[in-house]
Amino acid sequence: MSARLRRTAVPVVAFALLAAFMLVLPAFVNDFRAQQFAYVAIYLVAITGLNVLSGYTGQISLGHGAFMAIGGYTTAILMTDYGVKDVWTIPAAALVAGAAGVLFGIPATRLSGLYLALATFAIAVATPPVIKRFEGFTGGGSGINLFGTEELTASLTPVEILGFELNFNNWLYYLCATVSLVLYVVAWLFLRGRTGRALRAVRDSETAAVSFGVSLTRYKTLAFGVSAAYAGVAGSLFAIATTFVNPDTFPISLSIFLLVGVVVAGLGSLAGLVAGAIFIQFLPLWAQEVSKSPGAPAVVYGAILIAVMFLLPYGVAGLIARLLRPRRGSTGI
Amino acid sequence: MTRKLTLTLAALALVLAAGVATAGAGQEQRTSDPGVTATSILLGGTSPLSGSASAYASVARGADAYLKYANAKGGVAGRKITYKYLDDAYNPAQTVQATRQLVEQDGVFAVFNALGTEHNIAIRDYLKAQGVPQIFAASGATTFGRDVDAYPGLIGFQPSYQAEGWVYGKYLSRTGVGSRVAVLFQNDDYGKDLLAGLKRGLQRSKVKVVAAQPYEVTASDVQSQVAKLKSSGADVFAVFATPKFAIQAYVFANKLGWKPRLTINNAVSSASNIMLLASEGGTNKVVNGSVSVVFLKDPTDPKWKNDPTMKLYRQVMKKYAPGANVNDVYHVYGMAVAWTTVEVLKKVGKNLTRNALVAALGTMSMGRNPFLLPGIAIKTGPSDHFPIEQMLLQRWDKGAWKSFGGIWGYRAT
Repeated sequence: MSARLRRTAVPVVAFALLAAFMLVLPAFVNDFRAQQFAYVAIYLVAITGLNVLSGYTGQISLGHGAFMAIGGYTTAILMTDYGVKDVWTIPAAALVAGAAGVLFGIPATRLSGLYLALATFAIAVATPPVIKRFEGFTGGGSGINLFGTEELTASLTPVEILGFELNFNNWLYYLCATVSLVLYVVAWLFLRGRTGRALRAVRDSETAAVSFGVSLTRYKTLAFGVSAAYAGVAGSLFAIATTFVNPDTFPISLSIFLLVGVVVAGLGSLAGLVAGAIFIQFLPLWAQEVSKSPGAPAVVYGAILIAVMFLLPYGVAGLIARLLRPRRGSTGI
Repeated sequence: MTRKLTLTLAALALVLAAGVATAGAGQEQRTSDPGVTATSILLGGTSPLSGSASAYASVARGADAYLKYANAKGGVAGRKITYKYLDDAYNPAQTVQATRQLVEQDGVFAVFNALGTEHNIAIRDYLKAQGVPQIFAASGATTFGRDVDAYPGLIGFQPSYQAEGWVYGKYLSRTGVGSRVAVLFQNDDYGKDLLAGLKRGLQRSKVKVVAAQPYEVTASDVQSQVAKLKSSGADVFAVFATPKFAIQAYVFANKLGWKPRLTINNAVSSASNIMLLASEGGTNKVVNGSVSVVFLKDPTDPKWKNDPTMKLYRQVMKKYAPGANVNDVYHVYGMAVAWTTVEVLKKVGKNLTRNALVAALGTMSMGRNPFLLPGIAIKTGPSDHFPIEQMLLQRWDKGAWKSFGGIWGYRAT
């Protein structure tokens, strides 16, 4: 098998397996689990986008929860105030959050490293109060409820898709899974060509990138926009799945969890992202199972996180790469 | 290679077909309400076991301890009550997920004692659609007691924040301790309800709210707000804040040399342990003479030292919540809720259904809940889902709360 074919075939087969697994999963788990896996798909979208920015372009963001909030509120406001059906609000959320990402990306190109981390953290901190400020528009602290509205598919009566009747949880699962898989492929296509190379060049050495004719402003802004659009989609799905948005549904900790998810998955690789998303969704729940005494869940969570970073310094993607590395003697040419 | 790939894909297709075919199955019909058997009742709810509001986790722990005690005494109508409480980290999105788990996976009979205003709002439409009662929501937001028609299965427990604010307003307008009030409030339904109640109580009196400063629950401190309030020249300082910020408010007021003639601290933050922290070892004079409302027996109050209920309280805590802080009044709150629940379930008796429970909740009339102060009744009606509408004023004096005056009652609207 030629190296070129191998480079394409391995991801394609792996992706086909993943897609197949995601398609049949609801048959093997109960409704409620399906709903939890819908959240895994949502986090997958968010950290795929964040990986474009942080993993491939080398720009740290501690503020992606804010872009999720923009997406979530776009969906909630369009649904309740303008009567737009939930699925059609998803592209709108992508556009609005993407635009916000580009706007934020322009000044952010002048910042790097810690300063950028602080600036992005600032938007995560500022988002909840800003949302509360415009109470007439956003519903203030009480938020916006979507459950039981006509615009929310399948929340009261099951929906029929391709001859299958889906209840709310299974519908959510398939919606989120489909969106996440499509966006996963889009990210892969986006990153494997010329643009991906340019982004990686920016990450590895800005000076070298510029001397090869890569525009820093253009590519950094692009990365911000794309990754914010992903976060917007994730926020939109999050609002649909949670059937409720309020400022506290997008807390500062969400932004940090997303970054943790990307690091656990492995920066600069798409291979481990599903594991990162599972980590974000399930680890807090597992930590709670261990002990409910005051402070214990947080300690368990932290301990597991530290252990993971010790054992897998390059994340799950690093582990996968190590397992797939061609053995000595088979160069694959 | 191609052959292998074809085979793999064919195998996949088979698995897919099998999976999709079985996906439609399941969902059997139930004859009785979920969560109830001849020997058991399953209640569930969320609680901030972690995160910024984890101090309130004691509400769930106290209730759990009392229900375990009730089970040990034989349960209710032959049924033992299990109370499953899950962490939501005080984040409504997690409240929604955890509540769905309780309803869809654990099959709870009712959602019980879920804590937080926004958190109960986030789940009420869902629970209504599922037909799951949402009982004794741990929040004083007015909407939980008032909007019975929209949410017949939802009921709160504690006095509404509006009623509490009103009592402060009336107290100020009647006594004339000060005439200019400065308010620090949390920028959400809880803080705004208190402020609105205060203004209502001050209507047609000479006392005015001269300044009101909001803070965000995500803020790190309230120093600038306290400084602005001080500069308003007010002589009464009303603190409508959760514990962490209430302590800061006292400390900053002291630091800035502000000596209001009276400080009001709402019931949410007036537990004795919080007051002791705020008093900075007795050096903070702003704390002295603070006024708050009370409806529960305070475990640190020497008055209840030989009270049989508080003796029982300490025994139950020791046995079923070992290691927990017995002086934490939120445990008493939890037990008061659990006691009421047991009484209501007793009244419904053998034929326990969700409808019967909701009906019984709408016609409660209990003269004495031993965990509440004597004279405070629990009473509801078809359009009144405010179980407790009475409270007493108390004053912080020489390191302890002392109640004074008669019982105040107010119906929030």
